[in-house]
Amino acid sequence: MISFKQLVALSGSLALLLVIACSGNTAATPVTVAPATTVTEQPPISDAAIRMNLGGEPNTLDPQLASSLLEFSVLRQLSQGLLGFDENLILTQLVAAEVPTVENGGITPDGLTYTFKLTDGVSWSDGQPLTAHDFAYTFKRILSPEMAGPYSDFFSAIQGGQEYMMSAEADEAVKAGLRDALGISAASDDTLVINLSAPNPTFLQKVALVAAFPVRQDVVEQYGRAWTEAGNHVGNGPYVLSEWVHQDHITLEANPNYWGEAPKQARIRLSMIGDVNAELTAYKAGDLDIARVPPGIEAGILADATLGKQVLPSSQISSLALFLNTTDEAFGDPKIRQAIATAIDRDSWTEQVKNGVGQSATGWLPPGLPGYDPNVGSEYEFDAEKAKTLLAEAGYPGGEGFPEVSLTYVAAGDQGIMAQFLQAQLPENLGIEMGLDPLDPPSYGQQVIGGRQFDMTLLLWTADYPDPENFLASLFSSESFLDITGYASEEFDRLAGLAAAELDQESRVGLWSRAHEVMISDAPIAPLMFVERFYLKSPDVQGLTLTGIDGEIPGDTRLAEVYLSPEPRLLGR
Amino acid sequence: MLRYTVQRLFWMVPVLFGVGTITFLLMHAVPGGPWDEKKNLPPHVVANLNHRYDLDEPLWAQYGKFLGSAVRGDLGISYTNQDRDVVEVIRQGLPATMILAGLAFLIAVGAGIPLGVMAAARKHSAIDFASIALATVFASVPGFILGILLVMPFSVAWHLLPSGGWGSPSHVVLPALALSLLPMTFIARITRSSVLEVVEQDYVRTALAKGMTPSVVRFRHVLRNALVPIVTIIGAEAGALLTGTFIIETVFSVPGIGRLLVQGIMQRDYGLITGMVLFYAVVITVVNLITDLLYAAVDPRIRYS
Repeated sequence: MISFKQLVALSGSLALLLVIACSGNTAATPVTVAPATTVTEQPPISDAAIRMNLGGEPNTLDPQLASSLLEFSVLRQLSQGLLGFDENLILTQLVAAEVPTVENGGITPDGLTYTFKLTDGVSWSDGQPLTAHDFAYTFKRILSPEMAGPYSDFFSAIQGGQEYMMSAEADEAVKAGLRDALGISAASDDTLVINLSAPNPTFLQKVALVAAFPVRQDVVEQYGRAWTEAGNHVGNGPYVLSEWVHQDHITLEANPNYWGEAPKQARIRLSMIGDVNAELTAYKAGDLDIARVPPGIEAGILADATLGKQVLPSSQISSLALFLNTTDEAFGDPKIRQAIATAIDRDSWTEQVKNGVGQSATGWLPPGLPGYDPNVGSEYEFDAEKAKTLLAEAGYPGGEGFPEVSLTYVAAGDQGIMAQFLQAQLPENLGIEMGLDPLDPPSYGQQVIGGRQFDMTLLLWTADYPDPENFLASLFSSESFLDITGYASEEFDRLAGLAAAELDQESRVGLWSRAHEVMISDAPIAPLMFVERFYLKSPDVQGLTLTGIDGEIPGDTRLAEVYLSPEPRLLGR
Repeated sequence: MLRYTVQRLFWMVPVLFGVGTITFLLMHAVPGGPWDEKKNLPPHVVANLNHRYDLDEPLWAQYGKFLGSAVRGDLGISYTNQDRDVVEVIRQGLPATMILAGLAFLIAVGAGIPLGVMAAARKHSAIDFASIALATVFASVPGFILGILLVMPFSVAWHLLPSGGWGSPSHVVLPALALSLLPMTFIARITRSSVLEVVEQDYVRTALAKGMTPSVVRFRHVLRNALVPIVTIIGAEAGALLTGTFIIETVFSVPGIGRLLVQGIMQRDYGLITGMVLFYAVVITVVNLITDLLYAAVDPRIRYS
């Protein structure tokens, strides 16, 4: 999903970074040296809290309203859905007893009816049993027009979903009728049946998203919008919300009624330090166990004798590319777009703009995603001569007569540096002059995403679910509201249409791979890189497993397995 | 005096009405709405959201609703804070900001005035030049750098004070100090020049000639008469401290209200924007009123009617 916030969060002010970099690491030497202790394999639950930073106040902790990575990170501790992803991002059962398949009778051969059997003995954090009725309520709530959930669209394949979502202005009786007509029902206390109006091969992946985490009707109705406050909140995850001091911190405590394996640490403290540099300082001062490395100073951190050993690289499934407005007079001709894609020196980009963090990309599907192929787009490897030839073939030898274009971007974090890098590359390698047009996030959203009023723009896309569909369908299908570049290819649309209805996983991924190649060769985008993030992790933290769909907190999909080793804490780092 | 106070309070009404109206119009004139920053939402979800928050109504109807509820003290809800009431959101953050700004104010005044008096007493001495130098440095170093410069020794190197966060008295020290340094040197400079002006007066020479000790003269005669410009600047600084905590709160992760306005603007949280602007308008007008009333207290020649 495009995430401006994430770009902001990933970045820091360069001036500030310089100050930190220049000031050096005053506390590089530990004040006390830990005595050697033997770490037992299964340490007892310690009372201490793992301290991490969310990076800001969650706008909501309602699973059906949550939309940001930091909200997901908290919610993944508080609740669990029917399904989840394992460390290899393969679907796995959580509350459901098994992942429905056609073979085990969970999915009808036409791909229209899904039956979920619930695991025995699953309970809410207040001890009440969790039933299929709770999930039926939850799935209807996802589609509710009053909720206007940001992920409701993912579930529009549910029978009657589209009509119900569109009924905001209808009167109550009509809405109630549409709600009752939804293809969602609890056949018994432990059986949930969902009917779709059309096959949706990625439906189970969407069921594993935070948006489909269960909520309990009586709790929501009793407290209204305050149901997510500490004390009111009821979930079914390994941790419970014991404290939410707004704008300051959240404390999670092990859920005594958790039905699965108890979490290894009694407490997690999530602070809300908004500034990445302040976060690093807090880590250095020993106030955090895990912290983000502010973008731009990775090299300095790696070179540091102490901190360098604590670096934790994390590859989220995300891609960054230069998007070109194909409806623009300047970029209508594919040759011109291909020239742009060939004219960017990606290795210098990674070195100069990203401090060597991340992987240069010529394709759009990132590693970790089915359908990833490092060879896609290899024709766009940096070659200034080839780029000039392509531009000349399009009628602009040496860039002469090329219309004035500008790069629109979000004026936050290191986007400015990225933009300036491109502004230097294009005149040098193509002879094209480029202006810069920085905007604040909401204006950007309206102009670029909503209004297609731009020539070129930088866009970061992070996986909602690990499937090529999530990277291709909405961004490049000509009918999609998110077809930002205005890209319209009959061949792409045809392949996307086939893939959307193909129930065989292998053929489906094959179709998306072909669609990917078609799109890349038409070059509505110039891929730049697969993004990587650097974290710092205290040596005390054990059992962390990173996945490609982690939210703001690394390893947040399996945080219940993380614990602090019983070694005495080092005072400084 | 009472009549004057009531009159001034009455004048707050048109001021707040104007501030509210201008803010409302400006806010809606800026491109981008509350849902544009958040995510790439499908059009029907945006329509449902607009419907839910009455943003699909014409602007004049929204304005009418805003005025109607603002008059009753209801500033609406904050979309980015789980739909909590703006009043509640402000109330929740206010104590932290009050403590932070209050302590910074005490440091600024408590250290700034004596520093200014000393600088004036020893004109062109080392302390005088030092105060000029400090004033120049603190006026030109931005708050976030100052914050980090304080954190580096006290938190990272010596582990004496927390680098950020809130909850215990030790959390207040560094942010309050960082916040107070600029107003402190400012107050010191104004005190110095005001004192120097008064020192030249005939009655000071007379007092000294009568054999009063210089320190008695300095504090009883000079400082009292030098207070009017100092009170002006202290009033302005009090308002600035209460409304200008954004950067320091961000650097030190203080859960105050300073971050709310910027957050509101960045996310087009209309309720939060109007709520915070109106709140700040009230703070500034009240502080100005108190300052004006203080004039009468420090200078018997000033009388309001």
